[in-house]
Amino acid sequence: MNSIIITRAGTHSTIQDFGRFQYQHLGVSPSGAMDQRIITELQKIIPNHQNQFLEFAYVGPSIKVKEGSVKICVGGNCNMSIEKNNNSQLECHPYKSINLFEGDELIIHNTIDSVYGYIAFEHGLGLEPCLNSYSTDTKAGIGSINRPLNDEDMFHISKDVSSWDLISIPKPDLEKVTNFKVYPGPQLQYFSDNTLQSFISGVFTITNQSDRMGIRLKGESLISSKSHDILSEGILPGSIQVPSDGQPIVLMRDIPCTGGYPKIAILNEVDISRISQLPPETKITFDLQTIY
Amino acid sequence: MYFKGINSYGDRGLVLDFGNETSKSISQEVNETFLNISNLNLQSLNIIPSFNKIVVIFENSKIRDQNKDKISMKMRDTNSKTNKKVTKTWEIPACYNEDFALDIKIVQKLHQITKEEVINFHSSVRYYTYYIGFMPGFPYLGDVPSQLITPRLATPRVKIPARSIGIAKNHTCIYPKVSPGGWNIIGQIPFDIFDLQSSYPSLFLPGDEVKFYSVSLSEFEKIRKYNFSLNELVKEYSS
Repeated sequence: MNSIIITRAGTHSTIQDFGRFQYQHLGVSPSGAMDQRIITELQKIIPNHQNQFLEFAYVGPSIKVKEGSVKICVGGNCNMSIEKNNNSQLECHPYKSINLFEGDELIIHNTIDSVYGYIAFEHGLGLEPCLNSYSTDTKAGIGSINRPLNDEDMFHISKDVSSWDLISIPKPDLEKVTNFKVYPGPQLQYFSDNTLQSFISGVFTITNQSDRMGIRLKGESLISSKSHDILSEGILPGSIQVPSDGQPIVLMRDIPCTGGYPKIAILNEVDISRISQLPPETKITFDLQTIY
Repeated sequence: MYFKGINSYGDRGLVLDFGNETSKSISQEVNETFLNISNLNLQSLNIIPSFNKIVVIFENSKIRDQNKDKISMKMRDTNSKTNKKVTKTWEIPACYNEDFALDIKIVQKLHQITKEEVINFHSSVRYYTYYIGFMPGFPYLGDVPSQLITPRLATPRVKIPARSIGIAKNHTCIYPKVSPGGWNIIGQIPFDIFDLQSSYPSLFLPGDEVKFYSVSLSEFEKIRKYNFSLNELVKEYSS
């Protein structure tokens, strides 16, 4: 038996995978990793990850091996180090596999000029899926672990590390994008040509009122010429909805299942991952594509 | 037929449009279409019915475009009516005791009626499940009798107890678990309606019919102690 303990939970650390699908008509959000590009990359280094990835934001977690040993890999742009059981410090880097032995502690200090990072564990974390997914939706209280991770949380990994060989991949090119091509939203016609012009030519700032549910933007007010109150309808991540204060919200992975605000536009799938990595105060612009 | 057509929702979604009105007959067509489309076994990630739309989500635009024709074909096929009755009719015990009916006085005052009248009106109607949304397993039921139509609370309550029955505008609902919310709370049911341990986690499905009947506090407590599973509830309270 191999076991690890969370010695410092960090901020907003949760278990995530590629999402929970086929339940949105029952009010269950898809959730899943905010930046799916990174867990896609981590699969190359830890193929047997069991879809049990640890997601963290800003301040990362610290993890100590209580018993046995584990093979892991960190993804994202972050500062980290290993405290060996003999008190020596070891340098380590994202996208390179790491072997941790009893007493070793991995300390992820923080993400650099980005928001989210991930840890993949060989053989997973010994969790059971919930509605066919390991993802955590903290607001709905759904998940293999239905809350953010806490200090002292323990995980038991029954299978032993398959090989000590160190595997690495070139750091993936996750370039920072601040101009987003968007498609027309279902309520595009709720906005006048003038307002659409402000949307396209305006600069919007990511605010710190942003989380796994949505990214709130600050910028020129986008007031609907019809109404900001529509009959609730199904919504999908990446949608840009505009409540009555005219300040757009980009809906993210823990999306409410239905929504009653007009949606001016929608991002494509990879841009949801891209925008999730932009810290508060980042300035962004939108480019509206022709009717798709 | 209320169906108006299929529109794109970004690069990977579709919206089946049933107009801008709401009514039980529109919702019946929406929910019947939802079942028909679910049975197509599309490569979709989610199919989400609401009052007058069905949103279908795919992994990417290629899969979306491949599946769009299948939906169009199904919508043109007028013989596709499902005769098989898959929706359920529920008789749900409800306790309108003052311990649970946190906002019943608001409804009484607005309509100048007694508590007994609120209970009688609320339990006299067979409600239609328009759709499930807002939170896991939360049914939007309607329509409530005109004598009970009440706007949302001016200030939403921070913590509504689990299993509470609410009224907002012409809809009534059950809160599956503790939640903030703005509905006027008039009672409580004695069991859970959403269970993550079940592969069909929601007791109610879009299209189900739901009628409440009033039970005393002692009956409520008795039922609550059974701790029914969703499967047991289906046998006990639906037909």
